[in-house]
Amino acid sequence: MGGPVLFGVRHLSPAAAYHLRRALDEANPALVLVEGPSDLSEELHWFCHPQTKLPAAILAYTQDSPVRTILYPFAEYSPEYQAILWAHEHGVPCRFMDLPSSVFLALGPDWAAPKEDGEDKDAPPEEAPSPDIPTTEWVYRRLETVTGEDHDAFWERRFEQLDTPGAYRDAANTFGRELRRLAQDSPRRTAENQVREAYMKRTIQKAVETGVPAERIFCVCGAFHVEGLEQIAPMTDEEQNALPRAVSHATLMPYSYYRLSTRAGYGAGNQAPAYFELLWEALHRSGPGEAAYLYLTALAAAHRGAGNLTSSAEVIEAVRLAHTLAGLRGSKYPCRADLRDAAVACMGHGHFSELAAAAAQVEIGTKIGALPDGVSRTSIQADFYRQLKDLKLEPYRTAQAKPLDLDLREKLTVKSEAAAFLDLNRSLFLHRLRVLGVRFAVPVQRRQEKASWGEYWTLQWTPEAEIEIVESALLGDTVEGAASFALRERAEASTSMEQAASLFGDAFLCGMPAAAGYILSILQRLSVDAAAVSDIAGTAAQLSLVIRYGDLRRFDAAPLIPLLSQLYLRACLTLEDACICDNSAADGVMKTMDSLNAVQLNHDFLDETLWLSLLSRISDRDDLNTCCSGFAMATLLERGKAEDALLEREVARRLSPGIPADLGCGWFEGLARKNRPALITRLSLWRELSGYLDQLDDDAFKRALVFLRRAFCEFTAGEKADIAENLGEIWGLNAQQTADALLRKTTQEEQALLADLDEFDFDGI
Amino acid sequence: MSDKNVQRLPAEELYQKELDALIAAETDPVPTGWKMSPRSVLTYVTGNTTVKGVPITPKYMGSRRLVEIAIATLVTDRALLLIGEPGTAKSWLSEHLSAAVNADSTKVVQGTAGTTEEQIRYSWNYAMLIAKGPCPEAMVKSPIYRAMESGTVARVEEISRCASEVQDALISILSEKRISVPELGIELPARKGFSVIATANSRDKGVNEMSAALKRRFNIVVLPTPPDIQTELDIVKTRVEQLSAGLDLNARQPDAGTVEQVVTIFRELRSGATLDGKQKLKTTTGVLSTAEAISLLANSMALAGSFGDGAVSPQDLAAGLQGAVVKEEDKDKIVWKEYLENVMKKRGSAWLPLYRACRELNS
Repeated sequence: MGGPVLFGVRHLSPAAAYHLRRALDEANPALVLVEGPSDLSEELHWFCHPQTKLPAAILAYTQDSPVRTILYPFAEYSPEYQAILWAHEHGVPCRFMDLPSSVFLALGPDWAAPKEDGEDKDAPPEEAPSPDIPTTEWVYRRLETVTGEDHDAFWERRFEQLDTPGAYRDAANTFGRELRRLAQDSPRRTAENQVREAYMKRTIQKAVETGVPAERIFCVCGAFHVEGLEQIAPMTDEEQNALPRAVSHATLMPYSYYRLSTRAGYGAGNQAPAYFELLWEALHRSGPGEAAYLYLTALAAAHRGAGNLTSSAEVIEAVRLAHTLAGLRGSKYPCRADLRDAAVACMGHGHFSELAAAAAQVEIGTKIGALPDGVSRTSIQADFYRQLKDLKLEPYRTAQAKPLDLDLREKLTVKSEAAAFLDLNRSLFLHRLRVLGVRFAVPVQRRQEKASWGEYWTLQWTPEAEIEIVESALLGDTVEGAASFALRERAEASTSMEQAASLFGDAFLCGMPAAAGYILSILQRLSVDAAAVSDIAGTAAQLSLVIRYGDLRRFDAAPLIPLLSQLYLRACLTLEDACICDNSAADGVMKTMDSLNAVQLNHDFLDETLWLSLLSRISDRDDLNTCCSGFAMATLLERGKAEDALLEREVARRLSPGIPADLGCGWFEGLARKNRPALITRLSLWRELSGYLDQLDDDAFKRALVFLRRAFCEFTAGEKADIAENLGEIWGLNAQQTADALLRKTTQEEQALLADLDEFDFDGI
Repeated sequence: MSDKNVQRLPAEELYQKELDALIAAETDPVPTGWKMSPRSVLTYVTGNTTVKGVPITPKYMGSRRLVEIAIATLVTDRALLLIGEPGTAKSWLSEHLSAAVNADSTKVVQGTAGTTEEQIRYSWNYAMLIAKGPCPEAMVKSPIYRAMESGTVARVEEISRCASEVQDALISILSEKRISVPELGIELPARKGFSVIATANSRDKGVNEMSAALKRRFNIVVLPTPPDIQTELDIVKTRVEQLSAGLDLNARQPDAGTVEQVVTIFRELRSGATLDGKQKLKTTTGVLSTAEAISLLANSMALAGSFGDGAVSPQDLAAGLQGAVVKEEDKDKIVWKEYLENVMKKRGSAWLPLYRACRELNS
């Protein structure tokens, strides 16, 4: 033979890692080559450092904006990691053999390992391959249709469960070969693979040239590349020199199982890291069959830990059922889907939701890796310092607290766009840091409530801030990406509209429309369950604000309009019922009505007739809180939608003899909350009020007095004088006299009367 | 040969050809007491294939995985409990499972509030009991007793409607797998192959919660509402055609668009979100099951056939929708109105006639 040993693996596959170590023992190579960016070989020793705890990842990133990154996550059960570890244990040199990360980064985003989109607006849209061309993805999808299971289950049944020596390697290599034969990827993908394989072949050849016998070289690569490495010619020097390169940096960073599970896509992560670790453990005990027992007992323990009852009998039944399910699918041992389904039927009463928390613990886990101090230099740190420089904020990076005043308006006198929006961009950046919990900048309360273009901050640098930035690396590669991830995560966890609305506000302040849109959809979801009309109106008012002033932050508010319309409609439908309330709640209802009124006035797209007809209904109905009815009348009046005749009729009806004082005066109180000048000039109103009071008996009058005092206490002296003038006219008195009588200090005699009133029994009013 | 003029034949007679073909084509090992292998049972239930020239129709158009779990449960001699909202084909699946496993779906206990313990165990023919004293001939065996004797599957329908003490009678049967008859001094052990399929309603009022002890003896499978609109459309279309063919309604089948609109409305209000998942909605107090959609469409056809021109019009649908959606006057009315304004109104011209008709009725 004479060629190097090629061991095809699937990334993050426990069985691959297990059989790989056996194969390494057998081959006893003089050099181990691992698929991975060859310029990062010097980072390898960190993986073997005693303080290093997996999961950890290698991160390569470009220094310049837009920051591009590639990430190679490793877990305990990664075949690559085990190969590196084996080499370290046996004192065998070990190197990466794939294209350097600088080339990967230079070749553009499509080439990098699959990464989730943060606020990546510039990323070109994915090429949508036509459904007839059998790309790799097409083959995977086809497999899913044929087997009726997802790819993970397929892989687990066919590969992870192989327990005869050598079988895994044969199976994986065959799978890779067949996949190559079937799949016709886009020219770009094919070219990518060819370049990578040629480069890997070149690395092997170089090693041979340094004197290592070819058959003593052991290569660990994706199963897909095995055939390519056998056939392709090594890359020539000219070809290598022609490769584009980007200035890049690389670092190791601690990783978490949770992050690993949220990254979809081959090689970039897997759905159930903790379960895979369990498989890895099972392989070291008695074989893949052990996993069923480990999983179900661990699940039962986790479920019990959460305070539920799970008997051993149920676990036994679940194991039996899982085995039968595996048998129906023709596999030797149950896979994760079988185990989970069996557990749901036997332990979860048929509902996965009952076991969801325990399953998350057993399948995903909370493990977080660790690295020796000072090893991490993450891309988010680099991004932070770059932005600090771009935004001219470096002078503020001192231990001394310094104020920073921002004017968010576009500066028309400067030439470059960056300068015109410098303050706005600073504001976005600082808000993002605030969202990430990096204590570098603290907003100061706005000095002018109304001036929405001014923003005031205090900036102070502390060592803690640096640590907080490093911690944020787990959330994303850039400050923007991490803030977006944090907001999304928080939005998913939020339970009330208020929380979600404030998160939306944050996304708005951070200038992240994609995250804002996502939070908006959560807000919409929460709004359906929100019962309180005040919550709905409050959120509507906030959205309305963003729609009106979004321009200032160059924020496209159009996506908000449908939600605002919905909230408005719902508020209109529920406001009427909310008006059935006691006096203490009436205050809130009136505030809600007022803010809804303002929202409607500010936006033409909200149905005006709906609002007006609602107001007149509230104003007309006698069985609602009279205060609210009065306020609805006042609102109508203010909008010029109530005729004088209507007002007159209403006043007469509401203040007609026989109406209890608290109802009559309550209505008047509501009416007097708004547009007082208009009310004061309407003489007929005061005549009706006067007439109403005249017919009350003494006790009722004293009651009425309490409500009227409350209604009038907010009137200014001038307004009171005007009212006095009106009343004087009605009573046929001189205006001056009445005003004097009204404004003079109360006499002792009257004081006593008022004191009496304090002890008056208001029947629990 | 059975009488073909009955209103409804049991599954094993209706699909006898398919069952025979599957039994004839059997290659896998058959569990004791079963007529065919678990895999053939799966083929019978999920269908869409041809065995020995006989096309196998799909009986249950839902997740294949759930059917697998149900069959695997019966293989492990555990009892199976099917839970689901009304109209999710619980009894339908239970009938076909027992038809495929034993070619006999008639050992049924119909659970009601009036079901007694005797109907679970055994009772007596009192005339004979008095005449002859306790003897095996005087005994009236329950379906479950007979199933234990013959090693087959018994069905208990609507188990949660039975009183708790009646449910409890099942506990010892399912754990001991034997029934004792003290009057005759005998004890009947269940033969291999005995199992119980029970069904229960998850969204019903006036039911008796099942005890934890009883639940532990069952493997529980929750039957969901149809997973996607296409499945539900298929179910509704097939069933409406079957139903209206037998009823002589003088109306044309509602066109695909109409069926889709009804199913869309039902799915959206049931799941509390629009189909694209972008907008959450309030749900109604009623269940809005697939079965209801089917009867609504049949009802609209009856309206169109009897009082209209034979084509189902938006007005015919609106009347049915109003009745189906608004079960509790105040709450559902607001839900329905919000749905009309926020969702239906914005759906464009195809939905406009229905929207108008519905709005008119709901105001």
